[in-house]
Amino acid sequence: MKHEPIQIDIQNLQKSFGKKEILHDITTTFKKGEFVAVIGKSGSGKSTLLRLVASLEEITQGDLLFDGVPAKNSDANVKMMYQDSRLLPWKKVIDNVGLGLTGNWSALAEEALDKVGLLHLKDEWPSTLSGGQKQRVALARALIHEPSLLMLDEPLSALDALTRIEMQNLIELIWQKNNFTALLVTHDVSEAVRLADRIILIEDGSIAFDEPIAVPRPRKLTNPLLIELEEKILNRLMNGREIATLNEKQLAVSPLNLVVNP
Amino acid sequence: MKKMTFDFRPWAIPFILIIVWEVVVQMEIVSPALFPSPITIITTGWNLTINGDLTTHIGVSLGRALTGMLIGGAIGFALGVLNGLSKNCYHYLDTTIQMIRNIPHLALIPLVIVWMGIGEDAKIFLVVLGVLFPIYVNTFHGIRNVDPNLVEMGRMYNLKGWQLFRHVLLPGALPSIFVGLRYALGVMWLTLIIAETIPTQAGLGYLATNAREFMQTDIIILSIVIYALLGKLADVIAQFGENRALKWNASYNK
Ligand SMILES: Nc1ncnc2c1ncn2[C@@H]1O[C@H](COP(=O)(O)OP(=O)(O)O)[C@@H](O)[C@H]1O
Ligand SMILES: [Mg+2]
Repeated sequence: MKHEPIQIDIQNLQKSFGKKEILHDITTTFKKGEFVAVIGKSGSGKSTLLRLVASLEEITQGDLLFDGVPAKNSDANVKMMYQDSRLLPWKKVIDNVGLGLTGNWSALAEEALDKVGLLHLKDEWPSTLSGGQKQRVALARALIHEPSLLMLDEPLSALDALTRIEMQNLIELIWQKNNFTALLVTHDVSEAVRLADRIILIEDGSIAFDEPIAVPRPRKLTNPLLIELEEKILNRLMNGREIATLNEKQLAVSPLNLVVNP
Repeated sequence: MKKMTFDFRPWAIPFILIIVWEVVVQMEIVSPALFPSPITIITTGWNLTINGDLTTHIGVSLGRALTGMLIGGAIGFALGVLNGLSKNCYHYLDTTIQMIRNIPHLALIPLVIVWMGIGEDAKIFLVVLGVLFPIYVNTFHGIRNVDPNLVEMGRMYNLKGWQLFRHVLLPGALPSIFVGLRYALGVMWLTLIIAETIPTQAGLGYLATNAREFMQTDIIILSIVIYALLGKLADVIAQFGENRALKWNASYNK
């Protein structure tokens, strides 16, 4: 299986559901191995963008290229992680991880589970796991396929704050160790700032801003550069309107947990 | 050592009723010819077992029931899967199936006798007709109601065709299919009991009908009791299978 991160070129992409236009004039490039975070209000079309890239939805107009080849004709290995982990409740944890594999995969699955720290739960039913554990299993299930592009659609938004930070560290670690381009949808700005090389904001159906984050890793959430960036992005999100009050009341209390759409 | 907590309470009333029945018959308050005592029935059952009659008749009845169940179940399952997976098949077939389903299958007995005579075919056909629809409806709904998100996920993990069916669609539909199966088992016995009143040379129905002509009430009651026991047994087996196959479901629904 080919296992290299891929470059994604999106050119003049437009997507409508019936008469309703969701996305338009999307043109951007995700570089090989880049970690891109997509933020935006609920219903702004973030999931739709991911689903288009994953070929789960049909592009209405425009082009999508993986390493220069139209995505349709590419055999690039693309995997997605969802907010609901989508484990099969009728399969034990290990069998969920091995889903879709042929041949003798159990050693591989155990290795993948070990990477996410859940080897000891391999014979459990998914229903007995906590939300964070389920997402770890889903992550292991994606990793075992050695994807060239891993997409994460709000994978942590259902988790409590502590588990979320733990998972962020794990995702960063795994992204650094395994070669893949990562596309993360989140509505938690601090999460985007913490993890991504670049943040894209989707607003009114197109890319409203595109901001690189040139802060070296490992990153500390208390890094003043990150806090400043987070504030700047929140500012932009609120179009400068209420940010002053937000600053005083909420930023001061908890700069880390401000979300675009609570 | 599980038996230590055996709960006698559910069995207290049936036990007392049987004792009372025995006493009432012994004291000849009612005619023993019309109401044979439990001991008489047990003795009759024992004698019929010893001479092999009972096992033969039970075997014949079971054979009819299972043949009908297998054929009807297979057809119902296949149609349910087909219509569950293919919108096109659904549009062509479902209305027809629903129309046939609305005919009470036992109302067809006179017609079935005219068409097929009074042999085995007619009885098995009635059972087939009875069990087909509950299995069909529940298989169909089971397949249709599998979480589309899981199907999408399965496709992303390279599952297609038979693999997708085996790992995602069938297990997802299984709880509903078992509901259909257990319902169908009930229909199966009911249909068989009535179908076996069509003149025949063997089977529990024959045993009962034949006994009626000779006023052998003990044998009549014995066959009724056996029908009941077999019905219960079938349900217990189905429940056992269900618990094994749906182990995940028990904890999932908690
Ligand atoms: N399959 C679909 N059919 C019709 N409308 C859809 C479909 N999927 C998403 N939409 C609409 O597209 C818009 C964007 O949805 P989505 O991409 O899920 O937003 P986000 O992930 O940013 O919250 C929403 O208004 C949603 O109702
Ligand atoms: Mg979304």
